[in-house]
Amino acid sequence: MRLHEITLKNFRQFAGEQRLPLTSDGLRPVSLVFGGNGAGKTTLLNAFTWALYGTVSEDVEEQQRMVSDGVWRQTPIGLSVELSVELLFDHDGLRYRLLRTADVRKESDDQRQPTGVLHLWQTLHDGSTEVVNAPQERVLSILPMGVSRFFFFNGERIEKLVQKGAYSEVQEDIKVLLDLEQVERALQHLPRVDRRLSADLKRHGGDRANEIQTAIEALQDQEGATREELSVIERDLALLMEEREQVTDLLRQNASVAPLQRERDTVAQELEEARSARRTAEAQRSTIIATRGFIAFTGRLSGTTIAMAEKLYERGALPAPLKREFVDQLLEQQACICGTSLADHSPARHAVQDWRQRAGLQAVETAWQRLHGQLDQLDKARDQLQEDLQQVAGRMVVESDRVERLEARKSELDRQLKDSRLEEVQELESKRLGLEAQIASKQQRLGLLQATLESIAKQLGQKETERTRAAVTDELATKARSRSELVQAVRRALNEILTIRADDMRRRLDRKLKDVFASISFKPYVPQLSERFELSLTQMVDGVELPVPKSTGENQILSLSFVAAVSELAREIRKGRRAEGESSEDAGAYPIVMDAAFGSLDENYQREVSRALAEMAPQLVVFVSKSQGMGHVVENLLPHVSHLGVIVTHTSQPDVGETIELEGMTYPYIMSGVEMNRAELKVIR
Amino acid sequence: MTQSRRTEQEVLQQLSAEERLLLKRVLEIERAKLHITAHDPTDDIIRAVKEIIP
Repeated sequence: MRLHEITLKNFRQFAGEQRLPLTSDGLRPVSLVFGGNGAGKTTLLNAFTWALYGTVSEDVEEQQRMVSDGVWRQTPIGLSVELSVELLFDHDGLRYRLLRTADVRKESDDQRQPTGVLHLWQTLHDGSTEVVNAPQERVLSILPMGVSRFFFFNGERIEKLVQKGAYSEVQEDIKVLLDLEQVERALQHLPRVDRRLSADLKRHGGDRANEIQTAIEALQDQEGATREELSVIERDLALLMEEREQVTDLLRQNASVAPLQRERDTVAQELEEARSARRTAEAQRSTIIATRGFIAFTGRLSGTTIAMAEKLYERGALPAPLKREFVDQLLEQQACICGTSLADHSPARHAVQDWRQRAGLQAVETAWQRLHGQLDQLDKARDQLQEDLQQVAGRMVVESDRVERLEARKSELDRQLKDSRLEEVQELESKRLGLEAQIASKQQRLGLLQATLESIAKQLGQKETERTRAAVTDELATKARSRSELVQAVRRALNEILTIRADDMRRRLDRKLKDVFASISFKPYVPQLSERFELSLTQMVDGVELPVPKSTGENQILSLSFVAAVSELAREIRKGRRAEGESSEDAGAYPIVMDAAFGSLDENYQREVSRALAEMAPQLVVFVSKSQGMGHVVENLLPHVSHLGVIVTHTSQPDVGETIELEGMTYPYIMSGVEMNRAELKVIR
Repeated sequence: MTQSRRTEQEVLQQLSAEERLLLKRVLEIERAKLHITAHDPTDDIIRAVKEIIP
């Protein structure tokens, strides 16, 4: 596929009809178009995919607004606007004119997503032109949509191409590019051909031939059914293995955060213990205060009480150390211990009676003595209270600090674990074991089917030999047998060719990928394309092959290498087409159309990638901004440029005008203060 | 598979001239209608076989 020209009509910001020539040759395969941010580079890239497939990429905003805004505004309600993209290209020796067009009727100011209609014309070798009746099918057979993303892409997002599984998705589509599709289809159709051709042998070949042919057909049916089941099993197995890999990946990630999970569990347990210890200390303090707290307020009580008692003693307010019971006995005996008579109404008796008033009771004395003793105890209890409270307060401080520290650690661990968003390890592990069991059972079935196929092949070989040797006299039957043998021989050869090509394709693609990557990358990494068509990057560390965690830049280099490798291999394979006969001059050539190709690469990589692409791609269309393209990119690409253009931004905003200098000439880049916001494709050469 | 050790050229060389011709014709027929997935080329291929073994 070689692009010659693209013409846009009212497509997004490209108002009116605008044309970009793209014809190039081997010496100058590059078309380079400059455009500022929002100028329309991505739109131009999407014009190709819209024309070919009727789709635009996800990063195109307001997808329903396909008609240029200015044109839409000027269109009266009730009238229609023509929207179209026309593409002229060559493929496999034929010239094509592709036109996707939509008549968009204005019913309100809002636009509704238009449905484009595809038309395709081909110019034959004799110069006559004819309409292609199944245009979309033809386009898909020229460049399948799944593969197109490797040829029409946004350079800033190209790393997405190396996402896991992306390549196995395109494995089927790549078959078309690499000449496998027609072989597969032939292998599907030949048994049907054989069956029809053999019908005459059964009809006219006699009993023996009929019997042999019937047996052959039964074996063929069995072979067909077995192959069908085999392909279902293979597909299932591939899916199961992919799922197992995903689960293993999750488990691996889980293993890496397992120490975190363990630490979080320990911290959570410790935190609970610390909180509990703090609660216990608080409860203990409450109990102490509730039961003994008042003691704290008795600090001066004992001192004051003793001093008060002493004063009372001194003043005689307190009973003398004379017991009332003793005085009562003297009064009853009417004689004092000193011998003085204590007769009634005697002065001595009056004096002793006075003493009786002042004498204390035994109970009072005992109570006083007890109180005195308790005042000592109170002092001790107060000291104890202080000590206990200090101890419990100390414990509370320690536990509070511990709680605070553990809470902080747990929060940190929770956040880290939340980011990893992992399923439960146990659940994953049992899922993995379940998958292993399913895989083992499928593999067992696969082995059985392969053995069955081998046995069928053997039996078929025997039966075919028997058929060749069987005596057939009828001319029609003899001819049918020869024809069937011819078809069978071709079928066997095609089977072998398919295996050879598929294996060869992957190995060559892998080798090419390694070469291209090595020529661009500065790092000693090695890309690998597995048998399941998965792309990975590895490096040798101490003799061990390890996967490389790829950066965005490396993913971009890897994707670009894959693109270049596919492009180069497609050309090589189509050029050296074998069983199909001679090929056209541009067979297997596909253009690479890229937007913002070098956006996130550093200068060294920009230089290497632009050099590699210019050398490897048969045709390269690059859209860049001044900042992306003026350095190494222009330096490396300009010698290979056949067409140079600028997407001039017309903006109503004043004073933002800008120019671009290319090949010593100055061109408008942003035209400021104009009436209608739009993009203009200016062809410089 | 031991078969895959042979090259495509070797496979082709081992075919008879008639077989090689039919193989080429079959691939041409399939390739010409590769873009029409619903196309059934059985009749075209039978015609090609009958051209080779009339």
